[in-house]
Amino acid sequence: MMAGAEKFVEADNAEAIITRIEHKSRKIESLLKQNKPVEALKTALEGSPPMTRDERCKSANWIAVHRALMAIKDVEGMFSSLDPEYYDILMKYLYRGLSTGDRPTCDQCLRIHEKLTERAGLGCILRSLADTVNTV
Amino acid sequence: MANPLKLYLTCVRNTLEAAMCLQNFPCQEVERHNKPEVELKTSPELLLNPVLICRNEAEKCLIETSINSLRISLKVKQADELENILAKKFLRFLSMRAEAFQVLRRKPVQGYDISFLITNYHCEEMQKQKLIDFIVQFMEDIDKEISELKMSVSTRGRLVATEFLKQFL
Repeated sequence: MMAGAEKFVEADNAEAIITRIEHKSRKIESLLKQNKPVEALKTALEGSPPMTRDERCKSANWIAVHRALMAIKDVEGMFSSLDPEYYDILMKYLYRGLSTGDRPTCDQCLRIHEKLTERAGLGCILRSLADTVNTV
Repeated sequence: MANPLKLYLTCVRNTLEAAMCLQNFPCQEVERHNKPEVELKTSPELLLNPVLICRNEAEKCLIETSINSLRISLKVKQADELENILAKKFLRFLSMRAEAFQVLRRKPVQGYDISFLITNYHCEEMQKQKLIDFIVQFMEDIDKEISELKMSVSTRGRLVATEFLKQFL
């Protein structure tokens, strides 16, 4: 079932995923230059989590999402334009950000976490805790 | 300065509210035994993802949940050597009296200063909201306590030194 789907992602598929993530990073950079942080975040969250257990893919994806997250200044505005389908995956990345311990990252993640919980509720947090298969 | 603290405590409170969904679960390996699964970690299907919430490089909070128990480990801010010693002694004092607190763990988890273990029995006897309030209040007060202790140590040191050196005037 879900475990079977993970199996077919072997080393060469990981390379394909990393190329896809690099392509995504370039798109995010250009969106950030055009001053569109919310679009950048949406691009970063699309196609996540990478359907693989490979740590490099997850790290690469996290770096892209981190770049987009730190560029966001207006948290309320971001939520008004972000679709609810992204809430769960955003919550998982927020917890990854909070575990880094880096002060600016943690400050930003805490700010977004509070607003996201208000919007999405406790269910969002519980889904990120309970999902042991699709981790970020 | 208080605002980042408030955000950190709100985040911990929300995570605890979501994570504190405990029910009774008898041990799967041994008959008629009932053990807190978060401590044993023998069956991965009974455990949820552990969550680490860092406020900055020094302070963090690790929340591990399982089906019948929840473990919260805290690392408090220790700015200098004196605060280090005070925090260690004070939290050891509390941990040794863990029986009185019920939810406290006798030894903190490796890498942290103090740990709480909340089981389904605690949730049945006590209100979930009150438990969460207790933990968050504890986190808030621990900083104040240690600053107060540090101040009293410095004051006492100053008084003792003044008195002692008066004889040389």
